[in-house]
Amino acid sequence: MIQEYLPVPSNPLGIRGVEFIEYITREPLALGALLRSMGFHEVARHRSREVMLFRQGDMNIIVNGHPDVAAESAHGRPPAIGALAFRVRDAAYAHRRARELGAWDMPTRASAMELHIPGVHGVGDSLIYFVDRSEGFSIYDVDFVWNDGVAKLPPATAGMHWFGLVQSVHADRTADWIDFYRTLFGFEALEPGRFFGVLPKGTLLRSPAGGFYLQLVEPPAGADFVDWDEQLLRAGLGTPDVPAAVRALQERGVVFVDRPPLQPSEKGALTQLYFGTVCFELVHDA
Amino acid sequence: MKLHDFGMDTITLAGPIEAKLRAVREAGFTQIMLSARDLVGHPDGEAAAVRAVVDSGLRVTGLQVLRDFEGLTGQLHDYKVDVAKSMLEMAQAVRAPLLLVCSTTSAHAIDDFDAQVADLRKLAMLAVPLGVRIAFEGLSWGRFVDDIGGAWALVAAADRANLGLAIDSFHLLAKDTPLEALEEIDPEKVFFVQLSDFMWSAPSTPEARRETARHLRVFPGEGAHSPAVAELIRAIDRMGYAGDYSFEVFNDDYVQMQLGRVTDRARRSVDWIAGHVSRRSLPVRRPVAG
Repeated sequence: MIQEYLPVPSNPLGIRGVEFIEYITREPLALGALLRSMGFHEVARHRSREVMLFRQGDMNIIVNGHPDVAAESAHGRPPAIGALAFRVRDAAYAHRRARELGAWDMPTRASAMELHIPGVHGVGDSLIYFVDRSEGFSIYDVDFVWNDGVAKLPPATAGMHWFGLVQSVHADRTADWIDFYRTLFGFEALEPGRFFGVLPKGTLLRSPAGGFYLQLVEPPAGADFVDWDEQLLRAGLGTPDVPAAVRALQERGVVFVDRPPLQPSEKGALTQLYFGTVCFELVHDA
Repeated sequence: MKLHDFGMDTITLAGPIEAKLRAVREAGFTQIMLSARDLVGHPDGEAAAVRAVVDSGLRVTGLQVLRDFEGLTGQLHDYKVDVAKSMLEMAQAVRAPLLLVCSTTSAHAIDDFDAQVADLRKLAMLAVPLGVRIAFEGLSWGRFVDDIGGAWALVAAADRANLGLAIDSFHLLAKDTPLEALEEIDPEKVFFVQLSDFMWSAPSTPEARRETARHLRVFPGEGAHSPAVAELIRAIDRMGYAGDYSFEVFNDDYVQMQLGRVTDRARRSVDWIAGHVSRRSLPVRRPVAG
């Protein structure tokens, strides 16, 4: 066998965006209610499992309340972000390539869908899926039943769209995770000090096709954080008009942190923490 | 240098893991380097071994040893990746901050620097989600990498944050590697230092080095190269290395002696080193960018 080692392209997996983010919870109804307040619509339900698809604009959230999964998860009691699914050109290729570069294949836990979606191990218990069917006949058409009387493609409130995910990392582990996301997925670290929104902390990584960010956050210096696990902490939603988005969501009952320096501004806003673990960050992004 | 800078290695001691842990703790050491065999060979299973380690209160220096990893192709590569995954999972379970990896001796490995670099990068990526660092060591009888310079060339080219070097005094002594070799190395990429000596002059062949290394090492201060060992530790200390030192003493006699007698020798070795390397240097201060 001849193996040639050439420089890798800047987008080795052909990532084109985010197909969905999955939350795992034992109380899907409660999380669903929060998502509705955040402007998402429940557009479909799984044919046989306690799994729902919420959507607004281009954002899909899968709420996975499947008892096996919710119980299995180390963060199973309060809701947690269980997976991130990238849109890629070729899911089988992306899966193979990621494993060749050192990703762990997906553990054999019950996934949200019966349709086999290839994936690899992410931070903590989370998974990173690869989806190449985002137009026409979608992955959801296989497992889900569309809800009657609900638009399949409800528009986004205040132009909201995926901006990124925040991940906690242990002290002195930022460089390790930068290498991980750069080597396997083609993310690039932004120059130090470059931030968006109201929480300018840690290190930002930009997806190869642009438009999606990962923010790595170490525990605050000098603090002894016994419970500081490595995991996906929260989703960031971009919007061209943060104040308008804040107003629209407040009318739906969403509570924002109003204490300086985190109070809603043109730059961004942070919702309160729900269920002890779930919050959303709004970020100004045209 | 203080006792807590040093650890013992389970390969130096006979008996079940519980006896080794107890002997090392009773000798006053606070850390231990484990072998994967300690865990999987436990009569009550791996989980019992992990529990014994965690319950011992000793800090785990690292887990050894992944051999013959880099440079394999096809099925052999896939097989070795599976072995590596097992060891990484064990390292995580036992809270070992690093996995020791030795340069390949395999006749099946290919002489392709870039392929070996790619393999080390892959290993480093496998280790990231588990929170384990990879410490790569050049065996003095390695097939392509047989000294610290060669090991550093691979590690530097792979350039991954969680991939660094393990320095083993045996290999430097066995090949008479000049200390200048250390000057090329970024001190922050030295993840781990293993110390030992042996009783005669440098063996001339790879086979002789391997035989000595696996059966006839002794503690620093007990061997034929005491001045060189002391000078090496001083040089590593001057680099700004602030990590752990572990006694990597494979010795067929020590594994048929009472554990307390062997840990006594390890304690005397700490005293010997402390007497020859008076204190640890202050960390090297680097200008902060920006």
